[in-house]
Amino acid sequence: MTDAGRRVEHVTCLGCGCACDDIGVTTADGLIIALDRACELGRRWFGDGSTPARTTIDGRPSSAAEAIAAAARLLTGARGRLLVYLAPDATTEAMREALALADRLRAVVDTATSDPAADAILAAQRRGRAAATLGELRNRGDLIVFWGVDPAARYPRFFERYGLDPVGTHLPNGRASRTAIGVSIGAAKGPAGMDISLTFGADEETAALGVMRATLAGAALGPLPPALQPAAELAARLTKGRYVVLVSDAEPGTAAPDGSRAEALIALTQRLNDATRAALITLRAGGNCSGAEAALTWQTGYPLAVDYVSGAPRYRPEWRAAARLAAGTVGAVLVVGAAAGVPEAVCAALVAVPVAVIGPRASEAPFRTAVAIDTGTAGIHETGTAYRMDDVPLPLTPPLDTPRALAATLRLVAAELGAAEARG
Amino acid sequence: MSPTDRLRLTGGAVHDPANGIDGEVRDVCIEDGRIVATLPPDAPTLDVRGMVVMAGGVDIHSHVASSSCNHARRLTPEEHAADPVRAPRLEPGEDPARSGSGGTVPSTFTTGYRYAALGYTTVFDAAVAPLMARHTHAELSDTPCVDAGFYALMGNDEYLLRQIDTGEHDRARDYMAWLLGATGAYAVKIVNPGGIEAWKVGQRNVTSLDDAVGSSRVTPRAILESLTSSANALGLPHPVHIHCNNVGIPGNAATTLATMQTLAGRRAHLTHLQFQAYGGEPGGPWSSGARPLIEYVNGHAELSVDVGQVMFGPATTVTADGPVEYLLHKSSGRRWVNIDIELETGCGIVPLNYKEKAAVSSLQWAIGLELFLLSADPWRVVLSTDHPNGGSFASYPALIQLLMDRGVRDMQIKRINPKLLAGSALADGLAREYTLNEIAIITRAGPARLLGLRQKGHLGAGADADVTVYSREPDLARMFALPRYVFKAGVLIAEEGQLRRAPPGRRLHVRPAFDTAVLADVRRHFDAHSTVAFDNYAVRGVPDAPQAVAAP
Repeated sequence: MTDAGRRVEHVTCLGCGCACDDIGVTTADGLIIALDRACELGRRWFGDGSTPARTTIDGRPSSAAEAIAAAARLLTGARGRLLVYLAPDATTEAMREALALADRLRAVVDTATSDPAADAILAAQRRGRAAATLGELRNRGDLIVFWGVDPAARYPRFFERYGLDPVGTHLPNGRASRTAIGVSIGAAKGPAGMDISLTFGADEETAALGVMRATLAGAALGPLPPALQPAAELAARLTKGRYVVLVSDAEPGTAAPDGSRAEALIALTQRLNDATRAALITLRAGGNCSGAEAALTWQTGYPLAVDYVSGAPRYRPEWRAAARLAAGTVGAVLVVGAAAGVPEAVCAALVAVPVAVIGPRASEAPFRTAVAIDTGTAGIHETGTAYRMDDVPLPLTPPLDTPRALAATLRLVAAELGAAEARG
Repeated sequence: MSPTDRLRLTGGAVHDPANGIDGEVRDVCIEDGRIVATLPPDAPTLDVRGMVVMAGGVDIHSHVASSSCNHARRLTPEEHAADPVRAPRLEPGEDPARSGSGGTVPSTFTTGYRYAALGYTTVFDAAVAPLMARHTHAELSDTPCVDAGFYALMGNDEYLLRQIDTGEHDRARDYMAWLLGATGAYAVKIVNPGGIEAWKVGQRNVTSLDDAVGSSRVTPRAILESLTSSANALGLPHPVHIHCNNVGIPGNAATTLATMQTLAGRRAHLTHLQFQAYGGEPGGPWSSGARPLIEYVNGHAELSVDVGQVMFGPATTVTADGPVEYLLHKSSGRRWVNIDIELETGCGIVPLNYKEKAAVSSLQWAIGLELFLLSADPWRVVLSTDHPNGGSFASYPALIQLLMDRGVRDMQIKRINPKLLAGSALADGLAREYTLNEIAIITRAGPARLLGLRQKGHLGAGADADVTVYSREPDLARMFALPRYVFKAGVLIAEEGQLRRAPPGRRLHVRPAFDTAVLADVRRHFDAHSTVAFDNYAVRGVPDAPQAVAAP
């Protein structure tokens, strides 16, 4: 079909957790030929919009009906536990269908970002959290601390849309209204061009955060080692902000985060609210990973690592997908979403079990598939809802038609299961 | 039974106060999901002799489907672990039901199933940030068995505060109308007017109706007056739903009374009155402030309330009122979530446990009952626990028992901490016992009328065939906890706590008319300050047609 120069505005990009919803997309002949306002990450995520529409069984082409029937057989014939794995680039509507399958088949469920996100999620379950949507950073954040992260690399438009540059309702002079502080933790560098830059060694981070909390609590600290004195000064400085925003990264950065970082940052931010207003913003990956956690939570009560084996959801945060696969208890896997977004550690473990993939570019999965059913990508080909890193849900206005809708395909698998049950 | 079937419920004692029926033994006829006056003689019959027949329950104020609820679910995994819920086994031919988890904030499917098993068939989520409306619709789509809607938070909305500050009340009214339609909401909610914005700007909170909010000239009083007038001018089926300033603080009854007085004859609903009915002084000892408030309500027909009863046991406080949750966190030392939501509102969460040996919990329990027992017009005093703030909706049967049985109430009074009950009307003895008809009013007929839901809360011809049939039992809590039959739109969905079918509910929302000239200004506001594009803000594809709005 010829389609010369069709223009779609306000497309939502899921290339990172920023979920910029101001992208202009021009298409022609079923391909993307121009993108406005997309960053380099976004351009890579959109690509030219071409996507395969294959269905395969054991790598060989099959009809869609055969592939759906084969997927249903794989899900019900697992020798061991069935893992339903929520990968990126699926709409929330598709994830709801995937969870219905998991519930019906008493599977275990996990998400592609559960490993990096677990520290922050579990810490928040122990303590709560003081947070804000990104617009509060844009409109109120007058003192911003980037803790061991430079958003420029993995969240390229963060500064432009949320972080430092915009004029806010309470920040009439934009960047000039804000004080920006970059804190480097070992090799995890803060941004360049900050008003204040500090550095702590990776082995000093926990102590530095402890000093800051103690300072805020008014504790008598006694003489501090020189390396930690800036922490006390920073804490005192933070109390002078009107609306302090701490920014950290929940996803893997240049240095693996210390397991205690998430809880210490939460505690620090909560404590700051005694003196002023403060919020912690935790940067998350794109691809609607926050939507996976949201849907899992409203359907089960838990945001990751859910086990339906008993007939009711159980929380097994220590038994995330990688750990289950490594333990050899998984007999089959259904990947829902983009196989390319499955972490390497999980990919490596998938060689030992039969895997069905239903999602964008399933037929090009970086691991062997028993069944692969290509669908469109959320936001490029598929309409629905996706969540920004701060849990704000956004509509998806796809500029291209989908070769096969993911949610509808999952419903066909469910129907196949129902038909099989009826046949006995 | 499918919705197209007919059914005659015969021999039951019907309590249908909206139609003046108080326990009369008569048939209730169902056809095509509606109540009809008669059925042919050969229509199927269900013998409900000896049983009590009422319309399905209508919950006017609950927190069941919102981003805040989901944050609360995420915060309380230990509660879910203690209450795993297997998928109920439905009738043959039904799609598989879903498992879930309980606790004070159950998962969505479990929420729908539990409301259904309780005989409630209509529920409103009382506090949804408009920015998060899309999320609420998704949750409601996974909450079967109940017709549902939500109220959109507007009492701290940046755009509205600007219009009030500059006296642009017509523009404020049109914006409110647009926001209701754009988000698929049912009513306007005001939470701590101006107080959430004050919390965000570092002012911590507002303490009186005449405090300026931040550096503006806007006051809580101005917000109340403007939004209440606008909602009434729009002809909304439910008036503004108000959570007052100073909730949860000793001495707040004076603020609540001032709020009611400033409404000055405007139609309005004040929610969870118990949480804003405390006597004494801020920082001073707590006491009951229930009597003057309910007496004021009794004398003002334009006002209605729901009680927000505290029930002993676990609860999770979930509210847009961020500053009050901060105070609760500091006073209780418990886990605390605060999430500021751009340009609109906030969210605070603190899990609690109301203990009968705790003086403040006991006083709160007593105040709620005083409000019920001192009310003169049950049509304007609705049963609620502000689920899950005062306790779970699952505790409604126990609350009904407290209202209907003074003996049970008096036994409970002997168990609670009496320290703060001096001067309490309840401690002095309130003999009133609610009748079945009054229970029917405060749990379905009254809230349906206050919500403007003409097809709900009664059993007259044309009403939705949402019907709950109770077996009579001496144990009233058990009677109301396990209805013998529950019908939703004519479909039998539950029997004695067992779910039989789980049909999707309808979405209840409004789309009032407005002067679209406002949208150019709203678009400019979005372009300047919102992180979501104006063109992406409105929720697309809200299910079901909007409810009727009266002509202004």
